[in-house]
Amino acid sequence: MLSLWLPRFSTDRVRRLREFSAPLVVYGRRGNADVLTAVDEAAEKLGLHAGLALAQARAMHPAIEAVMEEAEADAALLDNIADWCLRYTPLVACDAPDGLLLDIGGCAHLYGGEQRLVADLGQRMARAGFAYRVAIAGTIGAAFAAARFGNPAAYAAGEERDIVSPLPLAALRLEATTVASLARVGLKRIGDIIDLPRSPLTARFGQSLLRQLDRALGHEHEPLNPRLPVAPYVAEQRFHEPIAREEDVLGTVEKLAARLGVALERRGDGARRIELTLFRTDGAVRRIAVGCSRPLRDAPDIRALFSERLAALADAFDPGFGFDMARLSVVIAEASPPEQIGIGNAEDAGELARLVDRLSARLGAQRVRRPVALDSHIPELAAATLPAQMVGPDFSGQDLGWDAFRRHRAETDLAPRPLRLLTRPEPIEALAEVPDGPPLRFRWRRALHDVISAEGPERIEGAWWSEQGGAARDYFRVEDRTGLRFWLYRAGLYRDLVRGELPNAAPPSWYLHGTFA
Amino acid sequence: MLDELRQRLRAMEKVTGIEAGPGPVPLGLAGVDAALGGGLARGALHEISAVNEAHLSAATGFTLGLAASARNLLWIAEDMALTESGAPYGPGLDCFKRAPERLVTVAVANKRDLLWAMEEALRCRAIGAVIGEVRHGAIDPIAVRRLSLAAAESGALALLLRAQPSSDASTAMTRWIAGAAPSLSSPSPAGGGSPSEARWGGVTYEKRSPPPASLRSALAGDLPPPGGGENGAAPRFAAQLVRNRRGPLGSWILEWRDTDERFILAATHAQPVAAPLLNRPRQKVA
Repeated sequence: MLSLWLPRFSTDRVRRLREFSAPLVVYGRRGNADVLTAVDEAAEKLGLHAGLALAQARAMHPAIEAVMEEAEADAALLDNIADWCLRYTPLVACDAPDGLLLDIGGCAHLYGGEQRLVADLGQRMARAGFAYRVAIAGTIGAAFAAARFGNPAAYAAGEERDIVSPLPLAALRLEATTVASLARVGLKRIGDIIDLPRSPLTARFGQSLLRQLDRALGHEHEPLNPRLPVAPYVAEQRFHEPIAREEDVLGTVEKLAARLGVALERRGDGARRIELTLFRTDGAVRRIAVGCSRPLRDAPDIRALFSERLAALADAFDPGFGFDMARLSVVIAEASPPEQIGIGNAEDAGELARLVDRLSARLGAQRVRRPVALDSHIPELAAATLPAQMVGPDFSGQDLGWDAFRRHRAETDLAPRPLRLLTRPEPIEALAEVPDGPPLRFRWRRALHDVISAEGPERIEGAWWSEQGGAARDYFRVEDRTGLRFWLYRAGLYRDLVRGELPNAAPPSWYLHGTFA
Repeated sequence: MLDELRQRLRAMEKVTGIEAGPGPVPLGLAGVDAALGGGLARGALHEISAVNEAHLSAATGFTLGLAASARNLLWIAEDMALTESGAPYGPGLDCFKRAPERLVTVAVANKRDLLWAMEEALRCRAIGAVIGEVRHGAIDPIAVRRLSLAAAESGALALLLRAQPSSDASTAMTRWIAGAAPSLSSPSPAGGGSPSEARWGGVTYEKRSPPPASLRSALAGDLPPPGGGENGAAPRFAAQLVRNRRGPLGSWILEWRDTDERFILAATHAQPVAAPLLNRPRQKVA
């Protein structure tokens, strides 16, 4: 477990934005006073420290620069650093407000050992302008304590007791009041309480004290809560020379996909969502994801999807000075029966899945859709479209509710529905017989249509059970002089208006909802 | 002699890669099929324009009718077209005997994406027909040629649906102008209606009656039902073949029969074939 602490996080962030020559402090409003929340090294040398009132600090040293704190910017930057740390391990957790926890178990050898990894991390943090302290220990608690209060170094598992014993109790991540009350009875270091009888401690200071101690010592497991879900399959590649060209990136994708394919095949899985993480040399991280409508393992197919995605990104895919690392992870894997391997065969469903994936990768998954029948009598709710990747592009096996719709249509002898439905009904001016005759003439989009034939009304009740249900509609199918066929409706009934049953009823109005072939 | 020349011409055209593809899809109408050289050529691009924007739905119906032989359908349209003219409506498609579960719709932001998506879809063997809906404006002839080639490669039907007729050069195999035609037949001889009339309950409507008369009849509560579905007479389309690489042009009034999923020639229309709303000379008909 690696704990990274950025002791001057807030001031370092401000310094990255602007050059300051004077000592820098960051302050925030606490209660009614402006109080220092962070100080940089120079300011600390002047004797300033967090918690001091800003007015007091200014009185002591008029030359300091004071900047208002920005908690959100801090959090965003910490998230970015956490993303960047994904280069070391997929298990990265934010240790707010100014630290990170990395589970480097099983990853350190990729960098040539823990020492080399820490050196690499430190070099990059220093280059980015952050003061840092890194400690590696067997448990989160011990690493945390060592990074912040002890001697930051790499400790082997099992040394926890030696690490934490000399450290103050605050290193156990306890509440300030607990630490204060422990100090009142003379317990100041962790070593003071390690061998004390447990039950009096619990009785007096609560359960959290011993739990934190046990966690630090490794007697109790402490789960790491990673910032991003951990992908079940990951392959990565580091480059000595940064790559920037799109072809190189795609080539890398194919190489990594081939490696993932082997692992996927061994477990009988296929990828449904794949994410490509590119680490730019300047620390920026690009994450590009593609979805597949069926479990996929073929490297050329995966490459083709990313090729579409990159083409769609165009300029937004900014390689800068190049990427020095690429990682391909299968975010969502799904069991895929063996016969589906090699989706590249001539089978129809596979071909279609491929097309849907390509279109979705390039245009966006929301743009490639399939119509689905829903169980509603209100026309605009009776059918919807869902992303094709979501419902799956199987033409022969899926009916998407349309079989039920056809049964319903046959049973109820449903009147014909228009071929194209407007996104929302458009108000029209109509001349119609009162109370419930068909329109005789209407104006839609500034064109006047004389109705020469009409069929209706087909009454469709509004959703009376809901407040916004709307009025009942009387639908008419009408044809005008040129043969254009429309679907019109009158919202509201004259009956309601006359009887005064609904005091707030608006007078009925006419809408055009769709057009027939 | 003429036939021989035609054959040779066709063979030469094949070299360009635009012609060819598998056999044509007969529409089942002797006159139309003869003009098309056996039917609608598969593996080729066909362009269907609506008479004007108001007729887009009718042109859509006509296009779907042409694509009736294709089981799987991809419909690509610009966002603007979907908001302006309405999106394909599943229950309506079903009424048109076009199974909605065999349709994939793609909304694209611009024409460039539309042509790219069309080409991509045409290369897919699982798709029988691709409908690309273009609202207006010229289309890059190179892109159109690419579509033709892609269609020829896969044998799929490429259908370009336009909201307005355009005159730009194109490698399309055929070019149609389609619109709605009044679906009501003229008063038929007593007892002897067309099969459709018998089925739909014998629609009687005096076509040339002035508006006041229709108003009056409507007020009396006897507006006849319109076409376009199972309860009314079948929808009718005025289709004009204005460009045909293989043969003569023509103009027909077609009626969609959703029972057998094909067009029939509307036998009993009240007006001459060349509908007045199509302002085009008829002498093109060979």
